Amino acid sequence: MIRSLRRQRIKNNIAESEQFRRRSFIGFLCIAMAMGGLAFGYFRLQVLQHQEYQLRSDANRIKPRPIVPARGLIYDRNGKLLADNIPAYRLELVPEQIEDIDKTVLDLKKIISLGNEDIEAFQQARKATRRFRPVVLKLRLNEEERAKLAINRYRLPGVEVVPYLTRRYPYENMFAHVIGYVGRVDAKDLEKMGDSKFAALSHTGKSGLEKYYEEVLRGEIGYESVETNAQGRPLKTIGMQQASPGYDIQLSIDADLQRTTIEAFGELQGAAVAVDPRTGEILAMVSLPLFDPNLFINGISHTDYRALTENLSRPLFDRNLHGGTPPGSTIKPFVGLAGLESGLRKPEDKILSTGEFFLPGVSRGFRDSHHGGHGWVNLQESIAQSVNTYYYKLAVDLGIQRFDAYMKKYGFGQKTGIDLYGENTGVMPSPESKQKRFKQAWYPGDTVNAGIGQGMWIVTPLQLAQATAALANNGERNHLHLLKAKRQGFQGQWQPEPLRASEQIANDQAHINAVKEGMWGTVNGSRGTARAIAVGAQYTIAGKTGTAQKVSRKGNISLNPNQLALNQRHQALFIGYAPAENPKIAVAVVVEHGGFGATTAAPIARKMMDAWLLPKLPPAQAPAEPVKATNAAPVPATPAPDTTP
Amino acid sequence: MIRWLQAWVADWMDCIDFPLLIGLLLILSTSLIVLSSAGAAEGQHFVLAQGARFAAGLVAMLLIARIPPHRLRAWTPIIFAFTLALMPVVFAVGSGRSARLWINLGFFYLQPGELLKLSVPMMVAWYLHRVVLPPSWTSIAICGLIIGIPSALIIQQPDLGTGLLVAASGAFALYLAGMHWWRIGLFVGSGMASLPIAWQFLHEYQKNRILTFVYPESDPLGTGWNIIQSKIAIGSGGWFGKGLGNSTQAKLDYLPEHTTDFLFSVLSEEWGWIGVIFVFSLYIFVIGRCLWIAANARDGYSRILVGALAMTFSVYVLVNGGMVVGLLPVVGVPMPLLSYGGTSAVSLLAGFGIVMSAKAHRKFLGA
Repeated sequence: MIRSLRRQRIKNNIAESEQFRRRSFIGFLCIAMAMGGLAFGYFRLQVLQHQEYQLRSDANRIKPRPIVPARGLIYDRNGKLLADNIPAYRLELVPEQIEDIDKTVLDLKKIISLGNEDIEAFQQARKATRRFRPVVLKLRLNEEERAKLAINRYRLPGVEVVPYLTRRYPYENMFAHVIGYVGRVDAKDLEKMGDSKFAALSHTGKSGLEKYYEEVLRGEIGYESVETNAQGRPLKTIGMQQASPGYDIQLSIDADLQRTTIEAFGELQGAAVAVDPRTGEILAMVSLPLFDPNLFINGISHTDYRALTENLSRPLFDRNLHGGTPPGSTIKPFVGLAGLESGLRKPEDKILSTGEFFLPGVSRGFRDSHHGGHGWVNLQESIAQSVNTYYYKLAVDLGIQRFDAYMKKYGFGQKTGIDLYGENTGVMPSPESKQKRFKQAWYPGDTVNAGIGQGMWIVTPLQLAQATAALANNGERNHLHLLKAKRQGFQGQWQPEPLRASEQIANDQAHINAVKEGMWGTVNGSRGTARAIAVGAQYTIAGKTGTAQKVSRKGNISLNPNQLALNQRHQALFIGYAPAENPKIAVAVVVEHGGFGATTAAPIARKMMDAWLLPKLPPAQAPAEPVKATNAAPVPATPAPDTTP
Repeated sequence: MIRWLQAWVADWMDCIDFPLLIGLLLILSTSLIVLSSAGAAEGQHFVLAQGARFAAGLVAMLLIARIPPHRLRAWTPIIFAFTLALMPVVFAVGSGRSARLWINLGFFYLQPGELLKLSVPMMVAWYLHRVVLPPSWTSIAICGLIIGIPSALIIQQPDLGTGLLVAASGAFALYLAGMHWWRIGLFVGSGMASLPIAWQFLHEYQKNRILTFVYPESDPLGTGWNIIQSKIAIGSGGWFGKGLGNSTQAKLDYLPEHTTDFLFSVLSEEWGWIGVIFVFSLYIFVIGRCLWIAANARDGYSRILVGALAMTFSVYVLVNGGMVVGLLPVVGVPMPLLSYGGTSAVSLLAGFGIVMSAKAHRKFLGA
């Protein structure tokens, strides 16, 4: 076939050569033009869009790495560490660098123990986090796990073991409600904090002081610019913006007093607050039962959490802050003060107690605690002996509106403003609140009941403590607070927190003195309701007992109080202060299902006062530490200088 | 003795086209310099290995340059048959990551596709040398078989890049042989029309590559990663580049395949646009020089073969250069004589041996 073709046309080398020259020239031109076009393509990227690609190149390699400062420490007033940070290691995954996350998690599960809760939390956090940000899979790796991960690291790209500081509460449950706890930062926290940089935080305050002083404790997050390779491994640091550490804070609380208070309750549950009336400093604040805040730091397990929430005594519930109880007879000093302040009573005015008080036109009487009554009593006796009739009559004379106005002036029905979130205002006995809560009209009998602190009246232990402290401090009410001082960094100087201005709750000092006399009588009078706690005390106590019916009946069904949860039953109360002549501590104690205030609540208060006052008494008088006389020199007659600020 | 040596050296020198050799040596040195930076993580032996391959390629080039074109032409059918016969072998015993491309010879991985890049244009040139030009339909059909069978086999491997280059080398031979423009137009037109059908026959990963080319940002961490990182490397180079050894994209592993298919991105990042223009100029010079040698060759075989090789060489440059800058889809075509890789460099340099042979022997070959 080739031959036949050749026969038809003669091959012409010169013509073919010419043809080739033309073709190769055109070909070359095309190639040169294409190369020119390509060169322009490079020009566009390298010269025209250089800025943009330079930025992208830098963004590629230089990653900001947040430096999270150590969280501020929390001390008690004597420098005991209540919350500290301990080093730990956590396991993080960077989703961007992992091809198959589920497979990696399975691989990790073969190496270290991973609970389903860890994995669930991780999957949830992963959805809320951008792909290049690390997500925590497990906190607090132990040494063995760390070693195993180190060995397997080469085949687990995107898996990192990161050192961090974790919170620890060395006193465990003792400050559960006051200090609260930190927990893992979740999507909701981030939304609230508003800035994505906080994603670098592993923990944030979730309750108590940890939450209230979150910003103070947290400090300022810094940044480090690190050059990272495509696997995300940091290679070198390029720039740095220092983090500034959070403030350490010192509380006004005394850890020893706190412990004594908890121990004084024994098996009982309830709440107690101790205040320095001269400053408003909280010295102890206990809500029982307690729980261990350490459980919450790295995510509480379902079982632990269920145990806490299903406990009928509600350990997570802060009785001081959120709880409340009718004040019972502990309100009497304040009602008495209102009587004097309003001018309706003079301290020496006597009222006859017959054992029962009748409203005109109402057949059912209101009883005294003493069958047959107390006879004629003045204000001082009415407080010391807790005479109901005196207050029934006084409440009726005041009328509920005026009554409420005075009680509000003493701090009931409003927040104390303590440095904790979620404080309960309580409920005042008023026609409005009754209408609101029960959709019922106000009866004159309700006013009578309010006079002795019963009925639908709710006060918080904090309000009681605040009002008691104000009385003790001669009517001068200080703002309740927990924060005493703060400092930045370990070398920093403690800066005392300035006190807020105090308020005077009474118009006449004589009125306060009259009421205080009554409270002195409660403990020291021959017929005082709490005279038992005065036995053996080296200082003078003044106070008032009380018992509150929390739920007497629900609708029309009478409830057997013994079948109710403890916090639903009768409450025993005691408020008091000491030393009576120069008060350094004021307390409010509420014991759930405590029977009578005098028998359960008052002894607890006595132990708290002992713990606070005895170490501060001149050594010779303190029996707890008998002083052995080593020489004949006489003990100085002047009392030792007061060590409390 | 000395005279004999002088004559021997002169004999060798006659075979060498110095302008072309200098151009090639400049490109090879550039390759080694860029590799020493981009392949720093792989170690010094990496550059030495590539240098050794270049040396082997240069020796092959000089040896082939000594072979007179008429002898090469006589061997062409045997060479073609042998290289084509290797294809079934590679199907049977070949190795490779995703495709069976290589035959392990113990000391060397032979890639038959690379050999066909030479033998196919040789065979087409051999055939066209024997027929009257411009080629008739019959000639075109026969050339079509010579080109089509090996290309189809290579694409089946699957190695789309090499297959297209082999096909292109044959097509360039036909073009240079003076195939009528309207016939070329007809082929190009029908080729374009059959693209949608060809799409059906592509492998999934090949489809992905083309889709990624169209929308690289659609999957920035998957298949689009290479193109995006390559563009970042090139764009961040600027006018003068980041300087030798300062390619952060390669050093920090953002740019995959930065010693092979994406080496030119590293060069663009480190040397800037000036470096790109420098390398393009070298390539244009080499291509132009080859076409000039082809045009001055005395027989049709050398002319068509050398011209086709030169034009194919330009396809390498354009495809790789266009691919790393995001103008073309990612196909596995290296930057010729620059990217790391043995077979490609040796076969390309062997091709330049044919070019030099054509240059050296033009005066001995009559019409």
